[in-house]
Amino acid sequence: MMLPSLMLALNDAAAGHGSLADAVIPKAVAAPELRWAGWILLLPAISAVLCTLLAVLRTKSKLPALVTVLSLGTCFAMVLKLYLSRGPDAGPVVVHLWDWMNFSWGGGPWKSFQADISLYIDSLTMLWMLFVTGLGTLIAVYASEYMEGERGAGYCRFFFGVSIFLLAMSALVMADNLLLLYLGWEGVGLASYLLIGFYYQKPAAVAAGKKAFIMNRIGDLGLAIGIWLIWVNYGSIEFNTLFQAFGDAARGVGGWDRSLIPFCLMLGAFGKSAQLPLFTWLPDAMEGPTPVSALIHAATMVTAGVYLIARMQPLFTLHPDAMATVAWVGALTALLSATIGMAQYDIKRVFAYSTVSQLGYMFMGLGVGTAFGAAYHVFTHAFFKALLFLTAGAVMHGFAGQLDLRRLSGLRKVPGFGIVCWTMLVGCLWLSAFPYTAGFFSKDLILVQAMSQPRFQVLGWIGLITAAMTAYYTFRVWFRVCAGPVSYVPGEDAHAHDDHGDHGHDDHGHGAKGHDAHAGEFHPHAPRFAINGVLLLICLGAILAGIPGIQALRGQHNWVQEMVYHSSAVRASGVDHVTTPVAFGLDPHGVVSVFGISAAIGGILIALWLHLLDRRMADRIRTALLSNGLTRWLPTSMENKWYFDEIYHALFRLPMWITSHLLHFFDRHFIDGLLVNGIGRVPVMVGRLFQPLYNGALQGYATSMAGGLILVLAWVAWRWLGAGGVS
Amino acid sequence: MNPAILIIMALAGAVATGVGPSRWAKWTAFFSTLAIFAVSLVFAVQFPEWRTGKYWPSVDDGSAMKAFGINLQMGGDSVNMLLLLLTTFMMPLTIAGSFSAITERVREYYGWFMLLEASILLAFLSQNLITFYVGYEFTLVPMFFLISIWGGQERRTAAIKFFLFTFLGSIFTLAAGIYVASRAADATGVWDFSIAALTKFGSEQLSEREQFWVFLGLMAGFAVKTPTFPVHTWLPWAHDQAPTGGSVVLAAVLLKLGTYGVYRIALPMAPAGGVATATFFGVLGILAIVVTAMICWVQTDVKKLIAYSSVSHMGFVIMGLFAFNPIGMQGAVMYMVSHGLSTGALFLCIGMMYERFHTKDMEQMSGLARHMPVWGCFMVLFTLASLGLPGLNGFVGEFLCLMGTFVAEHDQPAGYPGVMGPWFAVVAAVGLILGAMYLLIMIGKVVWGPLKVPGASADPHEHAHGDQGHGALSRDLNFREVAILLPIAAACLVTGLYPRMMLDVTEPSVREALISYPERVNQYNAERGKVNSSAKAKVAAITTTSTEAAR
Repeated sequence: MMLPSLMLALNDAAAGHGSLADAVIPKAVAAPELRWAGWILLLPAISAVLCTLLAVLRTKSKLPALVTVLSLGTCFAMVLKLYLSRGPDAGPVVVHLWDWMNFSWGGGPWKSFQADISLYIDSLTMLWMLFVTGLGTLIAVYASEYMEGERGAGYCRFFFGVSIFLLAMSALVMADNLLLLYLGWEGVGLASYLLIGFYYQKPAAVAAGKKAFIMNRIGDLGLAIGIWLIWVNYGSIEFNTLFQAFGDAARGVGGWDRSLIPFCLMLGAFGKSAQLPLFTWLPDAMEGPTPVSALIHAATMVTAGVYLIARMQPLFTLHPDAMATVAWVGALTALLSATIGMAQYDIKRVFAYSTVSQLGYMFMGLGVGTAFGAAYHVFTHAFFKALLFLTAGAVMHGFAGQLDLRRLSGLRKVPGFGIVCWTMLVGCLWLSAFPYTAGFFSKDLILVQAMSQPRFQVLGWIGLITAAMTAYYTFRVWFRVCAGPVSYVPGEDAHAHDDHGDHGHDDHGHGAKGHDAHAGEFHPHAPRFAINGVLLLICLGAILAGIPGIQALRGQHNWVQEMVYHSSAVRASGVDHVTTPVAFGLDPHGVVSVFGISAAIGGILIALWLHLLDRRMADRIRTALLSNGLTRWLPTSMENKWYFDEIYHALFRLPMWITSHLLHFFDRHFIDGLLVNGIGRVPVMVGRLFQPLYNGALQGYATSMAGGLILVLAWVAWRWLGAGGVS
Repeated sequence: MNPAILIIMALAGAVATGVGPSRWAKWTAFFSTLAIFAVSLVFAVQFPEWRTGKYWPSVDDGSAMKAFGINLQMGGDSVNMLLLLLTTFMMPLTIAGSFSAITERVREYYGWFMLLEASILLAFLSQNLITFYVGYEFTLVPMFFLISIWGGQERRTAAIKFFLFTFLGSIFTLAAGIYVASRAADATGVWDFSIAALTKFGSEQLSEREQFWVFLGLMAGFAVKTPTFPVHTWLPWAHDQAPTGGSVVLAAVLLKLGTYGVYRIALPMAPAGGVATATFFGVLGILAIVVTAMICWVQTDVKKLIAYSSVSHMGFVIMGLFAFNPIGMQGAVMYMVSHGLSTGALFLCIGMMYERFHTKDMEQMSGLARHMPVWGCFMVLFTLASLGLPGLNGFVGEFLCLMGTFVAEHDQPAGYPGVMGPWFAVVAAVGLILGAMYLLIMIGKVVWGPLKVPGASADPHEHAHGDQGHGALSRDLNFREVAILLPIAAACLVTGLYPRMMLDVTEPSVREALISYPERVNQYNAERGKVNSSAKAKVAAITTTSTEAAR
């Protein structure tokens, strides 16, 4: 049988590195000759400044897009050059660029605080940078067409945001210390805030941006506390020093404060990567323009949490409980968001929940000990999820913002949407882990790793169930939107469908005037060269992303694995081999292969039945569930994302709001009113005694001030004379 | 060069503004403050002690006028220089920000402003407790008139509250200072009010009990000025009612007098008192951060919101100062300057908006980014600086203050034990979330959202206070307003991206301020059964490899 042997091959490749898995992370060497890598940070910054200048100059051209694409493309070229000059197995280097927060009171650990803007470049950095800058460039090209209705100030603002995002993301990934990582961390949060709220006249967009920022801030608090705890325990926050210190530290040793560190970092990671309990911001973030959803909220930014934990693997492996927590949270998030994703009607929301769910798989992979699987899944996911969002964007662009999958059908046959539909099919197949796709390889790596360890077998099963759900909801979208008879209702939004040029940036937001006038004669706005070209390129990337999986199938070493095993994530890969049968007489590989493939194909088949062959059946099932009092909770709570927002509101926001009002009342009427004004009356009452002396409060205070001063000075003089008398 | 020249220039400017014709008043004031800024820059360039923590001109120089040990000795170390530069930098911008808002009693307004600058400079440059006190106290008078003449509707209440509050507090400060001086006079037979001498005497000779009361006395004034939590209620009133210029100076500079006093006078003069009350003030700091942040959350008046946020932000400074380690204290000094820049700028922005719409009520406006995009950009930028976004100025101070608090444990291997510890920092760090919440809500209401411009016809009462000029204002910011905000924005970015500049120069000064602390703290902790021996054990436990790795 072919498939189990594939898994064996994958694991054999891992075993080949068995000696590496426990190796000490090599010490980074200073590489001043790589200072040019600083341009990877500088170029997006320059592009942001230029976009601001263009906004000031009130340009209506596409110049901001050109500037951004050029600078991001150059960044990608430089990352590529850096990668080629180093190869996948080079050791880490540190490049110092710029002093930042840096001071000392003695030197050495605990006697100094060092957080410079300098780069720590190892294979993990390169892996992330390759797809961040590569996809960033492509998506900027896509956006140059997608956002053309906004030309003017909005266009500049958009590309300013994209530039700031790339700047912050590069800083996050290339940081050589936790504080610079924190800068990038909050910086991507800012870019996300600005871009989610891009259509700032829409209250929903503003609220979503705010929610994203605040939810992330909650996570950032964890990250900040983690940084302090690391400094307290290890005396430094530079990766290079830390990795050596982690290497020296014994597993599971240390006080509570040391064991708390990974949990604090985890909170940060869960906030940024939208995991339980902080996941509710990501679906709302879909209010942003679709290229933003693709770039920030699917492919790159949300994987920052995975990056953080992969980067800090040497620390996490010291704390098995923390690893288990990561795995459990990942698995539960994957399952939970898949259930919500099955019940959404907005295409972008379905994909958003699928992102949350796939991120859950990645965390599960990290937690069960395959950093390679997690990183590979990040890599493949970046391509196919960006692809899915961009196709959704193309649909939205073409149908005036229509995203409801009940109102779109058979787009495959609408002229000009062929490429969109077929590339979307590729994305869907990859997302549902169809055999031999890149998504299949990466997901199976994670599931096998979970299955091989008795204590994580439950997670493996959860992952398999989620895989079936994933295949179902993914193809629910495709069969509804792309297949079937042609019929569509244009959306209300004009911002995505604004080829009337003359609207300019003054009409973004939700002015529907462009369509009310000729609603009857709506023509889908087929994507042009930039969008189609980018879709094809990313589709190609998604296909090529499967190559490492196929290499592994043949027992060859593949470069993703090489890269992960030559980075700080190396410590994670202590593989516990279990070859004993897990279930049905199959070993872990067999279970995952058989059930994984069945889950994918079964899910697709159910979707085929309910959403293409017999669409009414789906509605009938829903109505039946709703009409039955016992089962009504199921569809309603799935559609309302298990009421997480409402629960958070009741648990946190509402009590806080009430407390705040009480505090405000207390502040005004008790502290200020009773105490302060009460004390304030005293001098007035005293003043009454000296009524003839003055009239009017001010003079009173001036007099008392002068009087007080005179008294004090008199006392001093007396003391002075006294002191003189004594001596 | 004697720094007293700056004060003389300010006084001369006040006289020139007051005597000259009304229509020249604003320009006289503007160019005087600009000249003072230029001279202070020259002064900063010449300043030889940036990296030594020493005072310049030296305290031992012959003094011009001396009686009762009170002399006019002027000078300072690097922290004084930073605060001096902050003051002289913000002043011309504030005055330029008042050009269109103040149309009545112009000469008086700018005259008071120049006098205000003179007294602030006197306070920041005095090396003598009494002259410091005179400058510190005298700021009340110009500020009182600025609020009570050019303020809002309830300006009298606000002005009186402001005056009374700060004045009552500082009486205790003076008394405590004089007590130390009198004890010193008892011991040495000579009256000497120089801060250095009193600090040396106070920290070395006074008993713990005396230091405790002296510290509380000193803090009574400084805590009100800062303001610390329960004695902050004058600030929202004062800010709310003050004219824009007054608010800006109040937030940017006057509040720093309080924290400067804590840093320069209270903490070094009575270290035992500082150690004994650190937990108390730490709790007050937390209350300031968390409680006022929550109060901010329910404000509807945008200016009051920023005023309360000042209280919340100054809580971080208090935490940093009472951490007793270089991280926290350098963070506190950074934060004083940062807060001056970003909050001052926010008040300027709000003033510009107020001049156009005559309302500060957030319910009446929405989506102004569309109406005045340039203003919106600045507003967002300064808000982000204020909520501590890394890369902008606020972050450095905020992070270091909290981190300093976090590591201020009894067994820290950092060489600077503290009395607060992680839980203080963790609770205070909730302020990071709350800060993001209220500031983003403000931005979400005022800058973003569907456009709603407040009715152009504001209530006629407001017009009476010199706002007839608004008809001449452009829709978005004009050149003058952009030119005011741009330098502050640049300063925010530079301090955020290259804080090392300031961290380097404040480091020796901070170590000087902390000189007697580690011992006192260890003693204090030992009395409570917390021995600092584990610090050594911890250091020993970390193998030498990590030490090598750090090199």
